[in-house]
Amino acid sequence: MDEIAAFIKPRPKSVAAISNIFLEETASQETKHIFERYRIEVKEAPPKFKIPSKFLVKRYNNCVNLQECVEACIYGVHKVREDGQIAEPLSDKCRGCHACTLACPKSAISVMINPEFEKLGNSYFTPERLEAIYYEAETGRIPVSGAGYGGPFSGRGFDGIWFDFSEIVRPTRDGIHGREYISTSVDLGRKLPHLEFDERGKMVSDVPKTIEIPIPIILDAPTTSGAGIGLQLALAKAATTLKTFSIVNAKEYSDDLKSYMPNLIPRIGIDRLSEFEELVRKARIVEVEPEGSKIDVCIRSLKEVNPSALISIRSKYDERSGERAEAFAKGGADIIHFYVDDAIVEKDPDVVKNAIQRTHSYLVYKNIRDEVTFISGGGIAEASHVPKSIILGADAISLGLAYQIALGCKICYGNEHSLDCQIKVEAKDVDWASQRILNLVSSWRDQLLEVLGGMGLREVRRQRGEIGRAMFCHEIEERIFGGME
Amino acid sequence: MIKEQELFPKANLAPPRHAGTIERYEIVLDRSKCTACGICSEVCPQFIGTAEIDYEAFKKPSGYIRLVNPKSLCAGFVCQSCVKRCPTGALTLGLNPEYAALGDRRWTADLIFSTWEQAETGRLSKRYEFDIGHSGGGFDRLRFDFELDKYGACEKIFEENEIDTSIVLNKRRDGKPKIEIPIPVYGADMSFGSVSLNVMLARAMAAKAWNTFTSTGEGGYPDELVPYKDHVITQVATGHFGVNAETIKRARIVVLKYAQGAKPGLGGHLLADKVTPEVAKMREVVPNISLFSPFPFHNVYSVEDHYRHVQLIKDINTKALVSVKVSTPIDVDMVAIGSYYAGANILQIDGGYGGTGAAPDIAKKNISMPIEYAIPMVHNYLVREGVRDEMVIMASGGIRTAFDVAKAIALGADGAVIGTSELVALGCKRCGNCERGRGCPSGIATTDPVLKHYINPKWGAQRIINLYHSWKGQWNGIIARLGLVNIRELRPSGEVKFEKGRFNHLVHLDHMG
Repeated sequence: MDEIAAFIKPRPKSVAAISNIFLEETASQETKHIFERYRIEVKEAPPKFKIPSKFLVKRYNNCVNLQECVEACIYGVHKVREDGQIAEPLSDKCRGCHACTLACPKSAISVMINPEFEKLGNSYFTPERLEAIYYEAETGRIPVSGAGYGGPFSGRGFDGIWFDFSEIVRPTRDGIHGREYISTSVDLGRKLPHLEFDERGKMVSDVPKTIEIPIPIILDAPTTSGAGIGLQLALAKAATTLKTFSIVNAKEYSDDLKSYMPNLIPRIGIDRLSEFEELVRKARIVEVEPEGSKIDVCIRSLKEVNPSALISIRSKYDERSGERAEAFAKGGADIIHFYVDDAIVEKDPDVVKNAIQRTHSYLVYKNIRDEVTFISGGGIAEASHVPKSIILGADAISLGLAYQIALGCKICYGNEHSLDCQIKVEAKDVDWASQRILNLVSSWRDQLLEVLGGMGLREVRRQRGEIGRAMFCHEIEERIFGGME
Repeated sequence: MIKEQELFPKANLAPPRHAGTIERYEIVLDRSKCTACGICSEVCPQFIGTAEIDYEAFKKPSGYIRLVNPKSLCAGFVCQSCVKRCPTGALTLGLNPEYAALGDRRWTADLIFSTWEQAETGRLSKRYEFDIGHSGGGFDRLRFDFELDKYGACEKIFEENEIDTSIVLNKRRDGKPKIEIPIPVYGADMSFGSVSLNVMLARAMAAKAWNTFTSTGEGGYPDELVPYKDHVITQVATGHFGVNAETIKRARIVVLKYAQGAKPGLGGHLLADKVTPEVAKMREVVPNISLFSPFPFHNVYSVEDHYRHVQLIKDINTKALVSVKVSTPIDVDMVAIGSYYAGANILQIDGGYGGTGAAPDIAKKNISMPIEYAIPMVHNYLVREGVRDEMVIMASGGIRTAFDVAKAIALGADGAVIGTSELVALGCKRCGNCERGRGCPSGIATTDPVLKHYINPKWGAQRIINLYHSWKGQWNGIIARLGLVNIRELRPSGEVKFEKGRFNHLVHLDHMG
């Protein structure tokens, strides 16, 4: 109701009056039946850790106080002190337009990329990607900028993929401005290939339970265990607000997380089942990481404890992940959660792209693709990687490092976390941390809507595996310039 | 064919607005070692470090002080006279970190400075890399086969003006006027609101001088442009901002914008900051509210609708050529043939890496393919369908230099539509801050009442004229070097088919056999 009221507020009087009548009418009816659109509340959440400014403005001491820079800068980097001298430049405000350098007749100013900024992240989680994540986590908005694209022509992994879009003969969907509804929901769980009925028309198939989440993103457990309960709480809180799930290591589960249990996926070591029986009984989804080949045994014993829980099998991508996915599915897994360490993706960005495609294709080839939900994790560094993972064949993605970066992770891959992990979330910061995760996910969902709208798709489910609507750089390159037909 | 060179506008000096400059090289002086002997300033062939400036520097107390060289032409590592001759070794030469911070991979600092220089003087110099960027693909990896000695080749032929670079913008036999432009480019669509009125005026003046075109973009048709109406294209886009029958009737070419390369599938953005009362009035909207053009045209969901849409324009203005501006989905060739049957005269394909006033970053990089792939696709398809000679294909989106234009033509386009390069000529530094606040710090993409005066229309027009003057020289050079007589011959008549990375004088460095 508030949403509708807020929507009509800025309108001219006459329209508002009509809408009021409409409001009164609907208010008298049962309000619970009003269709509720999924939305994520976004609030500013400024970082509590230090982010280096992108540019560094230096004034050399051959400055003779001409103050041309003060006039030239429209961002307030250069200011005059009370005594009439120019103050030290405020690099934080600089947006890299170089107007001051060009205006200075004495060449006394230099604007350069901050070396600290260049040191951020690594070659995969580039400083630019980190900058975008920081912006998204702070504001929840979509990064918008002027001027054309200025980066590399294409690249490996996700960078070599472009989305197709609709033009003229295929209508686009306007999802982002709310004129058309685009669904980003996905179902977790297995689906039957077909339904069976007896001669009297009564369904005899036992339709398995699925859980619908409104975004194709689940929150993975943090890669470092040193982050503490604060981070777990923030994740659980964010997952509950988002109506999705967050994975928690059963070993790190504590009773503080009790109220968030419906949105938690406990991850349990295969040999420690008996220890966490209580947890399994309460969970809607349980994740296990199998070692060896005891899949069906393990799933059976989990189902014995909690027959209604969905079982997610977590495993690392490898050369035979397709075959293993098949084995998991046949063994009774509802969800397959494949992942790859971000450190590996950094070395070879193609890894995750190829792995998703291989796994999906294999399941399609074996005619069991819909019998299992396929979640992919790792290598997700920017908003476009969500639809790209989905277009390559994943149902949903699990977000790992990206939200940790939003909370200040400096990407040490757990090597130095014992010394100085940046993402210790204190009890008082739980709200802040969960808001930053919400902002990030909200911004990514909006960008997913942009992509879906542009492609003319009405729901993200239909994007899965649609590689006909993706353009692969190396293929087109070969076709046009490589002389291949 | 337009031959009389007297018809072309003259290149006149149009110095930049700025007093300062950004040097590629930087000489750092270790003050603790310097004895102020002054040898460095004597040996420098370019008079680096005049006495006055040294004095300025030496007065300061301690630390490293840059030896400042305003407007100088330090030759960099090839010279190093001052460094070598310094008796105390107080000087070190390095790359200026600011030079590295300027521009991006597609528009390198060299390209920006080269464009500025051409806009200032109308000539090309050897100081900067003027033809390619460092994006690692597409035009940046394509070369003409003669390019091993490119600098010599172009300059020698520069003065030779007997080469015809004109193209015709209507090849259909549909009774519409045959519009001929002397250079194979015209100006891209930029709306009032995304750029200031002065910029629009400057572009229109330059278009008039070169007898080519510029476009209104989707933001209305300001009255100040009416004197240049023969050189202004009216754009009809999805938001229909400020479009009416009158502005359509005024134009010799009307462009139907279906999509823009930088944000295909998304429609236009003009953020609230830039919707000033003036802009709002022109667009017939409420000020200070973000404007989003819907996407797509909701009256065009099929080729039949598209046909009716083109006919609608033709009915309103019976003499105008209709240009269809589309971006590059995977089936851009089908869109092209659809536009042919819909009756369009010009097909403008806008590649994914094109410019914009404001677009989501996710769209700029990830949606639709670059223009380098789209041109051969469309060209080949139209050749196979046997209608290539009735359509004019204009390429846009990521075409930065005269060499890019020539490469686009060699890949199958008839000409190119130029946006960002014109703005760079006016002083754009590609900082990407066009969309918010007061807009562009260079006074180009702004609606701010103060900043817009940074661009004087006459000065701006001269800068753009100069740029095209230099480009014309480069095209002449390329055409002469290839042994052709006009630029239309550069366009392949048959299908584009690369073999071992070579086709039609083009070499792709990544696929050379």
